[in-house]
Amino acid sequence: MNDVIWLTVRRLRTPLILLISVYFISSSLLVAVPGMDEAGNPVHLSYLEAAYFIAFLSTTIGLGEIPYPFTGAQRFLVFFLIFPNVVAWLYSIGVILGLFLDDQFRATLNRNVFRRRVSRFTEPFFLMCGFGNTGSELARGLMKRGFQLTVIEQDPELVHRRQTEVDFSHLALLAGDTTEQSVLADAGLHRENCIGVIAVTNDNHANLTIAITTKLLRPGVPVYARSQDGRVGDNMRSFGTDVVVDPYVIFAQRLDLALNSPTKYLVQDWLISVPGTKLREALTPPSGHWVVCGGGRFGLRMVQTLEKNDQEYTLVDVRKDRVADCEHGVVGRGTEAPTLQAAGIEEAVGVIAGTGDDIDNLSIIITAKESTRNKKLFVIGRQEQRQNDELFEASGAHLVARPNWIVARSILASATTPGLSKFLNYLIHADEDFARRVEHKLSRCLGGVAPVVWSTELSGTYARGLSAARQEGIEVRLESFLHNTRSGQNEDLRCVCLMLKRGAQELMMPSLELSVIEGDILLFAGRSSAQREVAHALTDPILLLDYATPQRIPRTAIGRFVDRRLRGRKVKSDPAEQQQDPEQDPGSEP
Amino acid sequence: MDYEKVLFAFFIVLALTLNFGFFLGEIDNPAHHDAAELGAALAVSLIATIMKFGDRSQMGALLLATSLVADLQLIVAAVYWAYAANISADGVTSEVIVTVVSLSGGALLANLVSVVLLVSESIVIRR
Repeated sequence: MNDVIWLTVRRLRTPLILLISVYFISSSLLVAVPGMDEAGNPVHLSYLEAAYFIAFLSTTIGLGEIPYPFTGAQRFLVFFLIFPNVVAWLYSIGVILGLFLDDQFRATLNRNVFRRRVSRFTEPFFLMCGFGNTGSELARGLMKRGFQLTVIEQDPELVHRRQTEVDFSHLALLAGDTTEQSVLADAGLHRENCIGVIAVTNDNHANLTIAITTKLLRPGVPVYARSQDGRVGDNMRSFGTDVVVDPYVIFAQRLDLALNSPTKYLVQDWLISVPGTKLREALTPPSGHWVVCGGGRFGLRMVQTLEKNDQEYTLVDVRKDRVADCEHGVVGRGTEAPTLQAAGIEEAVGVIAGTGDDIDNLSIIITAKESTRNKKLFVIGRQEQRQNDELFEASGAHLVARPNWIVARSILASATTPGLSKFLNYLIHADEDFARRVEHKLSRCLGGVAPVVWSTELSGTYARGLSAARQEGIEVRLESFLHNTRSGQNEDLRCVCLMLKRGAQELMMPSLELSVIEGDILLFAGRSSAQREVAHALTDPILLLDYATPQRIPRTAIGRFVDRRLRGRKVKSDPAEQQQDPEQDPGSEP
Repeated sequence: MDYEKVLFAFFIVLALTLNFGFFLGEIDNPAHHDAAELGAALAVSLIATIMKFGDRSQMGALLLATSLVADLQLIVAAVYWAYAANISADGVTSEVIVTVVSLSGGALLANLVSVVLLVSESIVIRR
C-alpha cells in the first residue's frame, strides 16, 4: 500500500502546488478589489465569500456573482482569474487521471492487491507460474478439487484475457516476471501454507529458474515443473525437482504401453481421464508399417518408441537433416498425397501426424485416410491448440496427443493424489494378470464413466470412526465401509480401493478383508457418490460401527450408556445364555 | 546550486516568517492580526507540506510530520475565524482572536522545528 501512496503524492506534487498557489492568489485579489452592495456602499468580499466564489469559478460550475452583483473592477479581475484557475484544475485532474491510467501505477496497485490477497490465504495453496493452455487447465482442475492457488503469468495481455473468463474471476492472479524472486515471494513462496510450486510456463529456462529458486529458498516444498527439453529436465531432476513432466516423453510411454499391453494402457487411461467423461474403449494399435509425419521432438520420440517395439516405419519431414539420420525417410510434406504414397501409406497400418501445426496434422490425417487401402488405418494425431478439440474429434484419430493437456493432467494427478502416480508406476511394471484384475474390478463399478480418484488419510476427522471402533474392540476392515451406508442394505459402493499405504509399506489392490488402522492412506477410484459415502462412513463413528459389526448401536450418548449397561448386566448375570443365543440382538434402542 | 533545494528551503522558511508575522502583536487585538496573512501562512504551509512528500528518509518523515502539525493548527485557526466572521452571531470578538492567534502560535512552533531540522541537516552535510 505504501508504494501506491508514495507514487501518487510524488506525481501530484506539481499540480497540487500550482492549485494551492492559484487558488490563494485569486482569493486574495478578489478580497482586495472592492465591490458594491444594493445600497451602493463600497464593500469588500469576505475571505469565505472569495474562496467560495473561486472554488466554483475554477471548477467551471459558475453559480453567478455573489453576494452582490459585481462591479466593473471586480468583473475585470475575475475575467483574468478564470483562465489560470481553470487551467490549473484541468491540469491537476489530467495528472490524476493519467496516474490511474498509467501502466506502472496500475501494476503497482495490482501487485499490492495481489500481495494482500495472498497474505490472507489461510488454507493450503499451490503457487503456479504460467497461465497458458496448460496453466488454465491445471487451475480449473485444482479449483474443482477445492485447492486454492496463486498464479503468476509473464504476459499482461494473457492475464487480462484470463481475468475476463468466468472460471478465473476470483483467482489471485498477477502479471509479473515469473523468474523474479520478489514476485514469487509476493505470490506466497515463503508462506507456511504453500504446499507446492508448479512451473508450467512455455519457457523451459524460466521453469528451471523457478524450480531452482524454490528448491533453494523452500527446500521442503514440492516442485512440479514442465520441461520439453531432455537436458533441462535432467538438470531439474539433479537438484531434486519432485516431478518433471515432459509431455512428449509421457506420450511416447503411453504409446509404448498401448503397443505392449492394451489392458494396462486402458486402465491407465481410465484413471487419468477427466472424471465424468466417457471411458475409452479397448485400443489395439496394429503391428506393421507406420508412417510418421514430422521429425521434431515429438516425432523423434514416436520413432524411438516404434523402433523399441520392432515396428517398421517411414519418417516424413520437410527438413532433409531430420530425415537423413533415418533408415527410411522421405523428404516432403505429409499433407500431400504423393509424399505419403512415397512413404508407403497404401500398405501402412498406422499414421502418426506429429508436426507442430494442428491444421497440417489434420490435413495429414485426412490425406492419409484417403490414400490408403487399409480401412483400419490407426491414426495418431498431435494437437497443440485447445480450440481444435472438435476438429480432432471429428477427424477420427484413435489417439490424440495433447501436450498441454498431458502436462496438466500429470501434474494435477501427482499434486493432488500422490498415490496415483505410484500406483500407475506399479501397474506399468506389473504382470498382465494384475492389470486384468484391476480392469475387471474397475469396469464393473464404473459403468462407462471415468472415475474420480481420491486418497483418504485415516487421521483427524477421518479417524473418528476407527478410534470409536477400537474403543469397542472391533476390527474395521475395508469392506466395513465399502458398502452403501445410507440404504442400509449390503450394497457395495461403486469404488475400488487401489492402494493402501501404511508407513513405508504399499499394498496394491488390497483385499477387502484387510483390516485398516489409523494412519493408513487409502487410494480409491470410483464414482463421486461413492467418495461421499466413504467419507460419510469414516467420519461418523456410529455408522462405521453399525456396519463393522452385526449389531445396531444407539445414536445418542444416553442410548449408548443404557445399551452398555444392559449388555454388561446380561454378560455378568448370564453369560451362558448370551453364548447360546447369539442371534438375539443384545442392544435395544431406547 | 540545486534549484529544487532553494525552492524547498524557501517555502519552509516563508511558512515560518508568515506565521510569525501573523502571530506578532497583542494577542487579543484584532487590528494586530491580518486575515490575509493567516491565509498566506496557510497556503505556504500547505505548499511546503506537498514539497516534502515523496522523501522517504528519516529526515523527510520528520519534516513532513512537523509540516502536517502546522497545517492542522492553521486550518483549525482559519476555519474558526471564518466561522466567527460569517456564521456566529457575535462576530469576531477578542476571544476569537485569542484562540486563533494561540493556535497559530502552535503552528509557529512546528514551523520553527521544521526550520531547525532543515538547518541542522545542511550543517551535518556541510561537515
